[in-house]
Amino acid sequence: MQVRRKWFQVGRPLPPKLSGVFAVLSFALPVSLWCVVSYVPFVWHPQILITQPGSVDYLQPGMRMDKSAFAAAEAEATEQQKALPKGVPTNPIYLPAPHEVIRAFYTAFTTEPQSRDGSWLHESLWHSIQIIFWGFVISSAIGVPLGILCGAYGPFARMSEPFIEFFRYLPAPAFGALAVAILGIYDGPKIAIIVIGTFFQQVLVIANTTRKLDLTLVEAAMTLGTRNSQVLRRVVLPGILPDLYRDQRILLGWAWTYLIVAELIGASSGITWFITQQARYQQFANVYAAIMMIGIIGVGTDMLLARLGRRLFPWDRSLVKSDA
Amino acid sequence: MSVAKTPFRFMLSLAASLVVAFGAAYSAAAPAPSAPLKIAYSDWPGWVAWQVAIDKGWLKESGVSATFEWFDYVPSMDAFSAGKVDAVTMTNGDALVTGAAGAKSVMILITDYSNGNDMIVARPQYKSLKDLKGQKIGIEVGFVEHLMLLDGLQKAGMTESDVELVNVKTNETPQVLASGQVAAIGAWQPNSGAAMKAVPGARPIYTSAQAPGLIYDVVAVNPTSLASRRADWAKLVTVWDRVVKYINDPKTQDDAVKIMAARVGLPPEQYKPFLAGTKLMTLEEGKKVFAKAPGLGSLYGSSKIADEFNVKYDVYKEAQNVDAYIDGSLTLGK
Repeated sequence: MQVRRKWFQVGRPLPPKLSGVFAVLSFALPVSLWCVVSYVPFVWHPQILITQPGSVDYLQPGMRMDKSAFAAAEAEATEQQKALPKGVPTNPIYLPAPHEVIRAFYTAFTTEPQSRDGSWLHESLWHSIQIIFWGFVISSAIGVPLGILCGAYGPFARMSEPFIEFFRYLPAPAFGALAVAILGIYDGPKIAIIVIGTFFQQVLVIANTTRKLDLTLVEAAMTLGTRNSQVLRRVVLPGILPDLYRDQRILLGWAWTYLIVAELIGASSGITWFITQQARYQQFANVYAAIMMIGIIGVGTDMLLARLGRRLFPWDRSLVKSDA
Repeated sequence: MSVAKTPFRFMLSLAASLVVAFGAAYSAAAPAPSAPLKIAYSDWPGWVAWQVAIDKGWLKESGVSATFEWFDYVPSMDAFSAGKVDAVTMTNGDALVTGAAGAKSVMILITDYSNGNDMIVARPQYKSLKDLKGQKIGIEVGFVEHLMLLDGLQKAGMTESDVELVNVKTNETPQVLASGQVAAIGAWQPNSGAAMKAVPGARPIYTSAQAPGLIYDVVAVNPTSLASRRADWAKLVTVWDRVVKYINDPKTQDDAVKIMAARVGLPPEQYKPFLAGTKLMTLEEGKKVFAKAPGLGSLYGSSKIADEFNVKYDVYKEAQNVDAYIDGSLTLGK
């Protein structure tokens, strides 16, 4: 009890060892829940997977049906004293078991493209990453400077924020047809959707971060004789840089969420098109495998950036703490 | 030089240069006369069939320079409307709809007609359309399944007022039927198949096989491109004949199915059943359909019926001049 108290308190940091244990648990818990639901037959399994249709004419092996419907079919066959249908409890097709997803994950990479103009899955993934990259770079090239200016100078804020506030509620996917009309059918409109989806949030978030800068820093600089024109570069920018970096990491995650609509615009391409196509034919193991790939890429990039952040901004306490 | 001004100027020039760079990279340059024909195709067996010609290199063999771009169906029509592709594969009804909205097209080739892939699927207790009297039917109002349902109701001696329509997106119909809130749904493959799997005992009570010609699938071409590149389009049409024969020939069918299944990302054996619900048309068969006649046996008659339907259900306001949308001369070999 005494030992537990030491770390189970508001604001108490975790000892490194325990911290690692909890990090493992954060993945292990949902995965084991998934395993239980998938492999323990009496947990959930609301449907019956038909193995033998028996005398019921509308059943086929491999079909899934609700338990109640199966019971009705069984009762009917019993009444007529005909062969009983047989089946095993199963989950809906929308929830494949972990091993099926892992197998799909593996085979997705080892299956070579069947058609001449097809592409390997890693090529599709790479294409998606490029779309995200360019969308994010273009959005940041405008959004970051504008956001900082809005946060620092009132006139900029008043002149752009009301419109941006308005525009950020417009759903980015709705601009798909317009983007195609202007930018063609290949990567242009896809990148544009990522930009539209990211940019407006970006300006507001970064303006907000800039405003949170401790004003005493600015006042101190002015008192020490910094000219108005130098404040932005010498005080504001260095002051917000670590927070700005963190904002960018979060916004990069945002950009990924727009990928799924972006890639269905114009000529189909990339990893999310693979997801949509597989879902249409109910190949859900492939769908989850592809979703996992995106998750892994996302977390991987973020961890890399976090590590890089610690190198770049060693003076930033919050960064160290939040990523430890 | 004050800081307050320079960032602004920098911003402006940056924005301007990005716009220019972007524009230069992606603006569609006016197609040179020898540029490949650009055709948008999507996931329907009659259009996936083109993959055979693509993979076998038949386009090049017949001297036509064409690139096929793979799309989702609705985006493919968007791209055509925006003038970004020279042709698109769609249904004759949708050719009228995109045309009414401004992007006129000319149907030069009939790839197939739906021969069972479009279905009204009912829950087990309903055995025919007549049983659906007073019941709810989930359907995407104003689209092809709606038209097919009306056709079926008419044949069963009923009208639309005998049933209650619930407007449902076609790709959500399997879940809607499974929810038990409707007695039947209308959808095409793979959605119709998924609906039957979702509700054991559910069966099709009316399909496009009972109304052949209600839904023709075509290659629709931008009129300007057709006028300036007529010889190329004519070559493309001849390639189609070879595709159909390759798919229909039992000796080569398996190879064809393999190519098509790869395009949509399915194992061949799972894809094969979809082929049965689509009647691919050779040029010889297409010729008959290009003959001007009333009724579903002719593309003219079928499109006329689709046009009347579209006007009645406010898909668009003004009746379209159906004749202007059809040019059978390439198929007829004139």
